[in-house]
Amino acid sequence: MNIRILMLACASVALSILVAPLHAEGDAAAGQKKTDMCAGCHGIPGFRTAYPETYRVPKLGGQNGAYIVSALKAYKSGDRQNTTMRAIAASLTDQDMADLAAYYSAK
Amino acid sequence: MSKFWIALIGLASWIAAEQALAGGDAAKGKEKAAVCGTCHGADGNAPIMPDYPKLAGQPHDYLEKALRDYKSGKRKNPLMAPMAQNLSKEDIKDLAAYFSSLSGDLRVKY
Repeated sequence: MNIRILMLACASVALSILVAPLHAEGDAAAGQKKTDMCAGCHGIPGFRTAYPETYRVPKLGGQNGAYIVSALKAYKSGDRQNTTMRAIAASLTDQDMADLAAYYSAK
Repeated sequence: MSKFWIALIGLASWIAAEQALAGGDAAKGKEKAAVCGTCHGADGNAPIMPDYPKLAGQPHDYLEKALRDYKSGKRKNPLMAPMAQNLSKEDIKDLAAYFSSLSGDLRVKY
């Protein structure tokens, strides 16, 4: 019985070590310093894309942080196709994405 | 006819054309939005999962683009693809007009 509990404890510690790096903890203050590439479009009310389609860019302030991370990852992987966003997302690390998400999602 | 009136008529028809193109009917969109609300929140501002987006107050043309891309498969998402498949062009415009008309947490943040 004790051995089983010990094994379970070891397994859960091992699992948490494996899972931990997948969830980069976002830092809103750090994120605020990384918005240079975002603000030129997303920081301007009513800003429209110019190419290849014209539409207003989404509002990021107040959006769910986990959604912002998943959107950036999808741009980086190509699951979401946008030339500008792909280039920007490709330059971001997981930590950058988490920091930006923490900054923009903050109310 | 004076140049002024020609310019005015031109402007009026341009505005009318813009509105015809914008076209979404928020009231009709509301009637079609029940299925959206089950995940994104009835008010478009309270998604049931943290990695689902808030929609309320997002520009209508951005929402239309997102739905068009889900429908065409340009934007890949296993949950949204089948939802968007069932939408006509008019449905997309109506839904976008509806969620765009709501206000929630979303705002332009510099």
